Amino acid sequence: MAVSVAVHGHGPDDHGGHDDDIIYQETRDMRLMGFVLFLVSDVVLFSSYIFAYIYLRNSIQPTWPPIVDGHQLPRLDTAFAAFNSVVLFGSGVTMHFALESWKHANKPRFNTFMWLTIFLGLGFLGGQGYEYAHAQIGGWSGNIFGASFFTLTGMHGIHVFLGVCFLFALWIQTQRGVYTEHRFFGLTAGTLYWHFVDVIWVVLFFLFYLW
Amino acid sequence: MAQRVVKPKTNLGPGFWPVTALIAVVSAVMVYLVETSPLPIGLIQAGAPADSIDALFRFLGAIAAVILNIVVIYTIYFGIVFARPKGAPANTIGVQIHDAPVLEFWWTAIPTILVVILSIYSVKIWADLQNSKGDVLTVEAIGYQFGFQFRYPKVKGVLNEMHLPLNTPTTIHVTSRDVIHGFWIPELRMKADMVPGLINTIRVTPTVPGTYHIICSEFCGVAHSVMRTDVVIESQQDFAKWFSRQGGGTGSGGGGSGAGIAIDQGKADVGQKLFGQKCSACHSVGPFDQKQVGPGLGKIFNDPAHLKLVDGDAPTPQNVAKIIHDGFQGDIGVMPSAQVNQLSNPDIANLVAYLASLSKK
Amino acid sequence: MATVAPGVPTGPYHAVLDHIHPEPTSFIRKYIFSIDAKVIGMQYFITGAIFFVIAGLLAEIIRTQLLSPHGAILSAATYNSVYSMHGSAMVWFVVIPLLTGAFGNFVMPMQIGARDVAFPWLNLVAFWLFPVAGVILFSSFLVGAPDAGWTEYPPISLQGPLGTNLWCIAVFLIGISSTMTGINFMVTIYKMRAPGMTFTRMPLFVWGQFATTPLLFIATTALGAALAALFIERVFGVPFYDPKRGGSPVLWQHMFWFYSHPAVYIMIIPGFGIISEVLPTFARKPIFGYKMIAFSSVAISLLSFSVWAHHMFTSGMVPWLQLPFMIITMVIAIPTGVKIFSWMATLWGGSINWKTPALYATGFLITFTYGGLTGFFLAAVPADYHEHGTYFVVAHFHYVLYGGSIMSMFAGIYYWWPKMTGRMYNEKLGQLQFWLTFIGFNATFTPMHWLGLLGMPRRVATYDPQFQFWNQFASISSYVMALGTVLFFYILFDSLRNGKKAGPNPWGARTLEWMVSSPPPYYNFKKIPAVLAAPYDFGNPLPYLGLDAAPGATEATPTSASHPVPTY
Ligand code: HEA
Ligand code: HEA
Ligand code: HEC
Ligand code: CUA
Ligand SMILES: [Cu+2]
Repeated sequence: MAVSVAVHGHGPDDHGGHDDDIIYQETRDMRLMGFVLFLVSDVVLFSSYIFAYIYLRNSIQPTWPPIVDGHQLPRLDTAFAAFNSVVLFGSGVTMHFALESWKHANKPRFNTFMWLTIFLGLGFLGGQGYEYAHAQIGGWSGNIFGASFFTLTGMHGIHVFLGVCFLFALWIQTQRGVYTEHRFFGLTAGTLYWHFVDVIWVVLFFLFYLW
Repeated sequence: MAQRVVKPKTNLGPGFWPVTALIAVVSAVMVYLVETSPLPIGLIQAGAPADSIDALFRFLGAIAAVILNIVVIYTIYFGIVFARPKGAPANTIGVQIHDAPVLEFWWTAIPTILVVILSIYSVKIWADLQNSKGDVLTVEAIGYQFGFQFRYPKVKGVLNEMHLPLNTPTTIHVTSRDVIHGFWIPELRMKADMVPGLINTIRVTPTVPGTYHIICSEFCGVAHSVMRTDVVIESQQDFAKWFSRQGGGTGSGGGGSGAGIAIDQGKADVGQKLFGQKCSACHSVGPFDQKQVGPGLGKIFNDPAHLKLVDGDAPTPQNVAKIIHDGFQGDIGVMPSAQVNQLSNPDIANLVAYLASLSKK
Repeated sequence: MATVAPGVPTGPYHAVLDHIHPEPTSFIRKYIFSIDAKVIGMQYFITGAIFFVIAGLLAEIIRTQLLSPHGAILSAATYNSVYSMHGSAMVWFVVIPLLTGAFGNFVMPMQIGARDVAFPWLNLVAFWLFPVAGVILFSSFLVGAPDAGWTEYPPISLQGPLGTNLWCIAVFLIGISSTMTGINFMVTIYKMRAPGMTFTRMPLFVWGQFATTPLLFIATTALGAALAALFIERVFGVPFYDPKRGGSPVLWQHMFWFYSHPAVYIMIIPGFGIISEVLPTFARKPIFGYKMIAFSSVAISLLSFSVWAHHMFTSGMVPWLQLPFMIITMVIAIPTGVKIFSWMATLWGGSINWKTPALYATGFLITFTYGGLTGFFLAAVPADYHEHGTYFVVAHFHYVLYGGSIMSMFAGIYYWWPKMTGRMYNEKLGQLQFWLTFIGFNATFTPMHWLGLLGMPRRVATYDPQFQFWNQFASISSYVMALGTVLFFYILFDSLRNGKKAGPNPWGARTLEWMVSSPPPYYNFKKIPAVLAAPYDFGNPLPYLGLDAAPGATEATPTSASHPVPTY
């Protein structure tokens, strides 16, 4: 993407190096702010469903998981989810290193870490799929446990999936030479987004597996 | 900052003080009218809490009248005296004043004080409404599409009419069988939403006999507009007559066919297993209002929101055993009998023990 | 490069903006998929006006139905759809998009001395979601329009007709549009002010928009979550709200009002901004208490997140929780009062030029105060036990919504019309239109207060015969309002055909949008001006430097150059 989005009509080629730099910094700051605000509103989206989950859960205390057809539903598989979480958090670490490598102009190292991140992300999704297949909690539409669990983790899963796509697109951009050592706003945004998805998972993990 | 700030003239404008006096007089008259009118909103006041709510309403009305007078009269007055005179050049400017800290302090402080007073007053009345005044009568009202049903203690089944005795503090628990309805008696200024799966409580003490409407105040479907019924407020004697005609007072106050079950021999752990097999399809072990097919049973012996069993009896172990034994058909649905559920008397005792252990938690 | 003015430091961003690109020439890029905020603003205006006429006609159908206690024209089922669509359309498809999208896009970038918003393409997408969502909403009439009110409380909304699904989608889309606009405006106002326009030199309309943005991108997301859950519950049977399956109907109310209470301030804070522009201009006075007005908008915006449960006093929640909600609700009256009194003080000592916008702004003062005070009656919990769910509530919110939001928009449209079109409207007719609307409005909605208190619930297709007189009175008065609306559109069309040329600044206003020609050029400002003071010092020269002076604008000399550097 060209930097001309913010002030349309002002492409990088219109101006000499110095002006160009200033425009770059200004538009980058604006986009960074916009992106952070977008993440804030995304936090509200998750918070709303987390509120819903807590509300529903509290409304049928003291039994949780709920009793359906005479049987209390099993708890979710915490051990497996913990393992899966490690995969996701690991991808956060690799993403961090990817960005650092980029800043230090270490392209091969960047590529390695970027792909590691993407694979770990996909691995997490695979683990999530495995868990969906094995969770005996009555499916999405069976009861409020299933409803809140699948809605929240599903929404998180979609975020991870979009994140993977995002990272992949960023990687292609880097191969096409869109970013330089000094201009890599897309990578910053991708990293922010990826860490954001991690943090949400911490909360979800606590709510569904530890509480 | 600015160079040519025109200092405000010391006089506040032609006729400012007379207008202020006018506002004071009009306000005083309105406050007097609001505070002394016997029926501030032209509707019978049929008992508590209508009296205290009306008092609050009058108080709010008095304050609102004063504020409205100030805003409206000054605005119109400023509009008239500070209109640009005909023929004055278009670039005539007004007094170049930016702020007046003292004035601003007061018009922040006075509303703040009013807000404090009003919230204290409202909280006081609110607290008064929450406290039960040694309630004598407890009635349940159940909304459905499209009507109301009532359940009285010691009366079997549900009734389609509501009677309330005079001067008797009454607690009304409201709930619904399908969608959200509202339970509103305008003459008592009281309302609560009837929410399925939830029990809301209002407390009234009627003092004026008569027949009043109960109006559904929450949208509930095509016939919402006509969903209403009457409540008859009558003397205690008339109420007693009506009540006994409904079979009130003759209902079994315990024992009944559940008798003979050795309640005290029940084992909670056995009961828990049985409950999982036989009961949890319909009942949760949450509070009463957490309904699945039947009500939640987790607090059946001590649910503050539901002091009576569904058949109107007190929640004693005997009476619970009786329901499990006999089954019960009420407006929530059908609770099968022990025969249907294939429960022996010891089973019932175990179940009751289990339910009792839940209520203790 | 930097050619602002010698001696005035400039922001780095603006220093390089001397270069102006040519305006797109193809019709489509110019008028349909334009990324120019002014064009997008006009598109919002036109779309919103169309929806206003539809939603207003629905309102007239409501009033016609209520001419007779037995319901004059519709079946109860149809009536339910009519008022549900009326409420939904007015809130989401008229007032919110007009006050933010339309006024915000047209006026705000010019007022901060910018050439556009921060993300013009995002702006384009946000706009186009609006008509698309509107068409989806109204097409629900074909499959059975939603009938459970604009609040769509489950479980009744779970039983609602198919159109309820379309309603979910439409409101969801317009919500996304709001979120985009909110983010866009916040970045724009924070980052793109002209050099020297510190926060305390921003026009108050900009402050209004700024205070609204967090509501747009935070609260709206919660509505999106609630709507998505309602939709999947209706379509896939996933239990969230159905009590029979363990869900909770009250959960929806929490999620809905967590959005919709802030939403009512989305519908009024930009309106406050408009009033704050109109009053000083026509009283030829600085706005009284600039800082307090700016600050109180922010205060209202922040407080509005913690009062939502005042719509649920009778719904059943932990009783003691009612108290904090009641008290915070009442506290909002304080910053609102500060505004009202400051505006009155702005009129005081003025040299008031009674043009239509000024009339509307003053009418707003009166009707909004009235509506705010009845809000206070509702906030007191015990009183609300009686008033909730009655026509008293209907009266309250029409006083704040029509008497507040719509009146402020009338003021704003008359005020900026010359700027938008370059033409004046017919002043005599404008004033007549004001009086028709003002009188018709008060006569329509005042009686509803007592109807409610005497026992008439809202959302009813038929009512007790004893209420007939005041209902007929209200209905007939509402036809007067309708006449006023027709006249309004006539005035606009008439102005387009016969209006006098307006010139850049017919009102002698001082904010930046009046410093350029009418209608404004594609890029707003050939050179980005430097700002030296807040725009309300009527006695003083204009506080702008380096303006490529539009004809008629006087070149300014600085009155203060103490903080001319933007704060980014
Ligand atoms: C901004 C919001 C807004 C606005 C402006 C209005 C405007 C009006 N409203 Fe509305 N109303 C709501 C928001 C709004 N309303 C909401 C949220 C509800 C709650 C719904 C619910 O319960 O769920 C409601 C409910 C509501 C009810 C209660 C229904 C009920 O509970 O049963 C009534 C009844 O009188 C009513 C009346 C009116 C009237 C007469 C107007 C008038 O002011 C309308 C004026 C407009 C016009 C008169 C335009 C007419 C157009 C023309 C005449 C055509 C001109 C054509 C050309 C020039 C081509 N409204
Ligand atoms: C623009 C929209 C708007 C605005 C600005 C407001 C402003 C306020 N509203 Fe309103 N409200 C609605 C739109 C709005 N409302 C709608 C649409 C509904 C119904 C939704 C539905 O159910 O369909 C509603 C419903 C509603 C309810 C729920 C009623 C019920 O269903 O039971 C309550 C209860 O507290 C309430 C309160 C208030 C208060 C206290 C304010 C305050 O912000 C008002 C503050 C202003 C003033 C008080 C006047 C000026 C102040 C002074 C002059 C200072 C001195 C004053 C005092 C000290 C009192 N509103
Ligand atoms: C087919 C569904 C069903 C089954 C199975 C069932 N119940 Fe019930 N139960 C109900 C319904 C419905 C009610 C409420 C009746 C009414 O008031 O309309 C109820 C009411 C009750 C009540 C009274 C609750 C109160 O608060 O007053 C008790 C106690 C009870 N059931 C116990 C049990 C026990 C113990 C079992 C298991 C042996 C059981 N039920 C099995 C449907 C069922
Ligand atoms: Cu029941 Cu409305
Ligand atoms: Cu509100």
